[in-house]
Amino acid sequence: MTSTDIESSTPLPRPVGLLRRLASDSTVLIAGGILVTIVAASLLAPFIAPYDPYETGYAPFIPPAFMEGGTSEFLLGTDQQGRDLLSRLLYGTQATLLTGLLGVFFGGGAGVVLGILAAYFKKFDPPIMRFVDVLLSFPAILFGLAIAAVIGPGIVPIIIALSIATVPDVARVTRSTAVVVMSQEYMEAGRAIGLSDRHLIIRYLGLNCIGSVFVFLTLRFGQVILIGAALSFLGLGARPPMAELGMMAAQGRDALFFAPHISTIPSLAIFMIVLCANMLGDALRDALDPRMRNM
Amino acid sequence: MTGKQLLAVDTLTKHFPVRRGLIFPREIGSVRAVDGISLTLQKGETLAVVGESGCGKSTLGRLLLRLIEPTSGSVRFDGIDVLSLDRETLRKLRRRMQMIFQDPFASLHPRLSVRRILSEPIELHLGLSPKDTERRVNELLSVVGLAPYHADRYPHEFSGGQRQRIGIARALSTRPELIVCDEPVSALDVSIQAHVINLLVDLRQQFGLSYIFIAHDLAVVRHIADRIAVMYLGEIVEIGDKYAVTASPRHPYTRALLSAVPRAEAGRERRTIAQGDVPSPLNPPSGCRFHPRCPYAEARCRAETPQARTLEDGRQVACHRQDEIPPWPAAGGAGIDPVVRRRLQVLATAAKAKPAAA
Ligand SMILES: Nc1ncnc2c1ncn2[C@@H]1O[C@H](COP(=O)(O)OP(=O)(O)OP(=O)(O)O)[C@@H](O)[C@H]1O
Ligand code: SF4
Ligand SMILES: [Mg+2]
Repeated sequence: MTSTDIESSTPLPRPVGLLRRLASDSTVLIAGGILVTIVAASLLAPFIAPYDPYETGYAPFIPPAFMEGGTSEFLLGTDQQGRDLLSRLLYGTQATLLTGLLGVFFGGGAGVVLGILAAYFKKFDPPIMRFVDVLLSFPAILFGLAIAAVIGPGIVPIIIALSIATVPDVARVTRSTAVVVMSQEYMEAGRAIGLSDRHLIIRYLGLNCIGSVFVFLTLRFGQVILIGAALSFLGLGARPPMAELGMMAAQGRDALFFAPHISTIPSLAIFMIVLCANMLGDALRDALDPRMRNM
Repeated sequence: MTGKQLLAVDTLTKHFPVRRGLIFPREIGSVRAVDGISLTLQKGETLAVVGESGCGKSTLGRLLLRLIEPTSGSVRFDGIDVLSLDRETLRKLRRRMQMIFQDPFASLHPRLSVRRILSEPIELHLGLSPKDTERRVNELLSVVGLAPYHADRYPHEFSGGQRQRIGIARALSTRPELIVCDEPVSALDVSIQAHVINLLVDLRQQFGLSYIFIAHDLAVVRHIADRIAVMYLGEIVEIGDKYAVTASPRHPYTRALLSAVPRAEAGRERRTIAQGDVPSPLNPPSGCRFHPRCPYAEARCRAETPQARTLEDGRQVACHRQDEIPPWPAAGGAGIDPVVRRRLQVLATAAKAKPAAA
């Protein structure tokens, strides 16, 4: 074969693996460690919770073990109805994480689809983005109220409200990422080969957007948890006696001055989850693209 | 050259609308990127399209492959009216017409291995067994001067020249008849340009390809093309045999191009081609679009659009004064810039040295 010689240039070194880069970041290790512990503990709640979270037979208002008057029998004390707070915290975290995760999953999924379609099919762009703007102008709390008014309070209206609240931001971020990818020559090269729209959207556009969108979803997860907790706090979410962190914080409100732990402990749990999710999201963003560090 | 027509383009036009206004966008005009271009390409022939940046070369290339929809005009590929095809038929036709892109760093999907990049079009169009697909991938790699072990690497692991070879292999993968090469070497180092150009010349012979070769480097064009079309602001001002066009250019713009001196030899250099800036294709000048920069312009040029006229040697020139302007310095290439001549020598040397390297 009369081919010309290969240029004698050495190929670029492989970039250090994403996981290795993440593992060398101490924020990731700490935040990830805490989050994994929280998730594992909440998943294992049926096995590790010392008491039944709905059992009201114990003495009310017992402070945590490390405070004056506390007892090692109830490590985090009991609430005003005499339920073990540690057990409720474990179950409550499970419910909170699940609502947040489902909200991000459904809302994020819909947002990604809308954003990608808007970027790929230019004629769908204006209607999709106008629709997204409309969604954006309704606060999630309003959605929650409206849905709860129709189907009654509970965990389902919260998940719907969270999903709807997640759609517009994710759609916008996905669209702006996808618009940049669309302008890359390899998209046109894919079309020149004759690939189908489906293939181009999933394997070309989707694959090249998913990194930054995933980072955004991680960051968004913390906010969704917060909104969900706020909705529960307002009494729109989980119905008593079900344990949910936002609702637990709300229930402790009346006893805030003489038994502050009832409200503070679930609030701290929310705080830790949100903080760790945000730190992980930031670290992931940096690891995926060091150029975004200063944004 | 079999002399059979592969491509026939008639008054092809692409206007990009320009909109202003945030809430109620209004069309305030249009960029006339390609404005009534007609040309033909024979089987086995290479037609070069040259012109300054922004004159519509890439837009023309995309229109030929119907990667974008034209405003008007027609494109016939081997007798098929490309613009009337439905999506599915067009996708099938893409097997026969391919493109090589300018930017080797942007034209390869960064997350696909070279094997995937080359297998995709094969799976789509040739329906080979997995084993034959693999064999074909290896064959393509060796055709473009890469090795089978390169198949499992990712684009970022290659140099610019190597990536461009991968892009060439991708274009070849479906056994096309026509390849539109959009400035395939202008993003590469000069030392590598000659290799890639000679590879393209080899492949043309080996596989009986026809090229539309978009370029702004006249040395490269002289080396590879059979005919040259010179574009200015969306129009062809001169088209004809490469020797005729480069040895005795008739259009003042072709002359300006030929005597232009590249300031830097690599990359996308800016050159002084004629005095004055390129006018905006948004509001092209009246009459002859070259008149604000043309040293021979007269009143008629500002008022009337010159029509293309066919000369005795078969070339077409669109200039009112093509018979009046002074003759180009005699043959022997006296008018050709020494830089261009040196580049031609480099290409010829690289072509001769090739068998030894293989
Ligand atoms: N999608 C688009 N929308 C609007 N205008 C466009 C679009 N694509 C190209 N243009 C305009 O059309 C004109 C021709 O562009 P084109 O890319 O075809 O030029 P070119 O000759 O290939 O230039 P270069 O040498 O820089 O590649 C330019 O003025 C450009 O701004
Ligand atoms: S028509 Fe007139 S302005 Fe145009 S190139 Fe010819 S001489 Fe120059
Ligand atoms: Mg171009």
